[in-house]
Amino acid sequence: MTVFKYFFKVMKEYKWTIVLYTVLLVGFAGFNLQTSDNSTNFMASKPDILVIDNDNSKLSKNLESYLKENANLKELENNEEKINDALFYRDVSLIIEIPKGYSNGIINNDKKDIVIKSTGDKEAEYGKMLLERYLKISNVYEDIKNEDLIINKINKQLESSVQVTIKSKLNTTELDKMAFFYNFANYSLLAGCVFVISTVLNSFKTKEIKKRTVVSSYNYKKYNSNLFKAGTIFGIVLWLLYLLISVILLGSSMITLHGLLFAINSFVFMICATQIAFLMGNLINNKEALNSVVNIIALGSSFLCGAFVPMQFLPDSVLKIAHILPSYWFIKNNEFIKELEVINVQTLEPYITNIIIIIIFILIIQIVTNIISKKKRKFD
Amino acid sequence: MFWHNLKYNLMFLFKNKNLIFWTFAFPIIMATLFNLAFSDIEKNEQLNKFNIAIVDNTEYQNDEVLKTTFQKLEKDIFDIEYTNIEKAKELLEEKEIVGYLEKKENNINININKNGIEETIFKYVVDEIMIINSVSKDLINDEIASNNQINYEEIYQRVLNKINEEIKLNDTSPSNLSYTMIEYYTLIAMTCLYGGIIGMTSTNNMLANMSKKGSRVAVSPIKKSKLLLSSTIASYIVEIIGVALLFLYTIFVIGVDYGDKIFPVILIALIGSLAGLTFGIAIATLIKKNETTKVGIIISITMICSFLSGMMGITMKYIVDKNFRILNLINPTSMITDGLYSLYYYPTMERYWFNIISLLIFSTVMILVSLVELRRQKYDSI
Repeated sequence: MTVFKYFFKVMKEYKWTIVLYTVLLVGFAGFNLQTSDNSTNFMASKPDILVIDNDNSKLSKNLESYLKENANLKELENNEEKINDALFYRDVSLIIEIPKGYSNGIINNDKKDIVIKSTGDKEAEYGKMLLERYLKISNVYEDIKNEDLIINKINKQLESSVQVTIKSKLNTTELDKMAFFYNFANYSLLAGCVFVISTVLNSFKTKEIKKRTVVSSYNYKKYNSNLFKAGTIFGIVLWLLYLLISVILLGSSMITLHGLLFAINSFVFMICATQIAFLMGNLINNKEALNSVVNIIALGSSFLCGAFVPMQFLPDSVLKIAHILPSYWFIKNNEFIKELEVINVQTLEPYITNIIIIIIFILIIQIVTNIISKKKRKFD
Repeated sequence: MFWHNLKYNLMFLFKNKNLIFWTFAFPIIMATLFNLAFSDIEKNEQLNKFNIAIVDNTEYQNDEVLKTTFQKLEKDIFDIEYTNIEKAKELLEEKEIVGYLEKKENNINININKNGIEETIFKYVVDEIMIINSVSKDLINDEIASNNQINYEEIYQRVLNKINEEIKLNDTSPSNLSYTMIEYYTLIAMTCLYGGIIGMTSTNNMLANMSKKGSRVAVSPIKKSKLLLSSTIASYIVEIIGVALLFLYTIFVIGVDYGDKIFPVILIALIGSLAGLTFGIAIATLIKKNETTKVGIIISITMICSFLSGMMGITMKYIVDKNFRILNLINPTSMITDGLYSLYYYPTMERYWFNIISLLIFSTVMILVSLVELRRQKYDSI
């Protein structure tokens, strides 16, 4: 019991580190949880566009109102530097500047070119398509020399729209949010468990304490198993805390079968994180070095396996390397749950396989830890 | 004595493994991770060809407009699988395609899994086909109204020609739009500020109330100003080596673009490092706590400053610049990041010089604060 108690006593010193990782998780996941426009009806994506209307004519205003229907029109101060910053930081994907004399140009067959600035991404391309569609229809009616009539004709033609049906019954936005939260939890769980457990284990290894333990009548196996139990209990408490936070942040969507799958997956990963912590605690003697190693492990596997940048955006070569890390299988499973439509034994096969792979990691790490610890004991 | 002190300060700093890790190795590890994670992100945001399916039934085969439009778009936008309805449904379920199109009882229908930009573009294309039909009908009606002889084929062709006519837009998009560069700029800024740990460590060595070495130095018959200068220069040299290594690594290994003006980049690195160093010295003199606490304070302030200047998501810098500009005006990492950004993105130098002057003011304030604190420190006993 002494060992057990001392473990948590030392752990208290690191409460602020745990608070830091938790705040990061809540901050980042919370930041991403704001938008919720999911529905089973089709909703077109709306690119962010800035329109600068230098013409102020009926035709230019009509173009602006058409864009307003199909895009998010941003309002910005008419200051060149601010506009350029907005483009660089993707506050707007496309800037459309309607030149002075645009309307007269159409009526008098002396068309003025519209000026655009684009980020070149999908949203900007779509914004450009919308603009081009409008201009093409306006070209068809360019022989009509009456501004109001042209506007009428254009608007009538723009009404045509195809019927779109969404086949999937999944609430994709909610599942996206859940997966985002648990993917980010990869960092918090890994950094939290490895840092705290391995640092506390380290404090048991200081010369004076070690000598005292060796000469005491305390059974070595019992001593070790108490340390192991205390570390695992800490891991479980941390996991419960994150589970609770996910229920608070994500609400009822966590109390579903999908939520249960996310929870089980993260539980198995937490056990793996505690095993990595035991390994590190055994392997490294220097507290400062431990701090560096924890940062490399947690940040490295989070970056390489898709905790910060979604897996589909990572290069194939990086993902191939990531196969050797348990985080990869944990995050892969989160991504799998996100897209799981029907839950039964057959459909869960890939999920179970990923869990088994994480369990194999746990066993391998445990064996390595035992070998190292045995060798070190003999050496001491 | 100056050279002697400089030499030993350099040796002392280079032998401090923890210090070397955080100021030399950590930024390089972060740069490598950034590179691995972000290298494809911008490529994925561009509009690449995506998979769709078309139910190849008789109604589709009879619709010439639909057929020719999709045949044309197959080159640029879509990878199309022509198949039957069962297979199309299966492909959609397996998420192999963005959606499928089916023409049934004279109605065109698009089936998708979720809302998204690619789904929207798919819909856009089909809408366009419907618009062409609608415009043709409208023109035909106009012709009927004006009692002209109607040549359906001619009208339809006219509409198609007009619609397919290339729209002339004056595209003035800037060329340097890679926003992931900001991540590397914040990393440079973070490294400059981490240099504060070096400045703090070597200042601590001189403070009689901070280390035994400091007490010894304090009673030695050497001018304080000489000591201060030599240790500051030693710290500055170590810091500049760290920042230079990171620059070389990001340029030659990762391929970060700092624009084409090399001297201004070097200047901002030198002044940024100075800002970091003076910041560390100020923390060392102002805060009367042990070294671990001081390191903690420097790392925390640096991380908060890096966060505000966009390290954990570049939009943060933009949001702060737009809404709470004052925060980034006093934030040294933001000054360095913004200076590098202005060199990369803007052809003019005003914004760059503004950041350089801000960094100089920041460094001067830090030096003044430290000097006021260090002046005439006397201890009767420690």
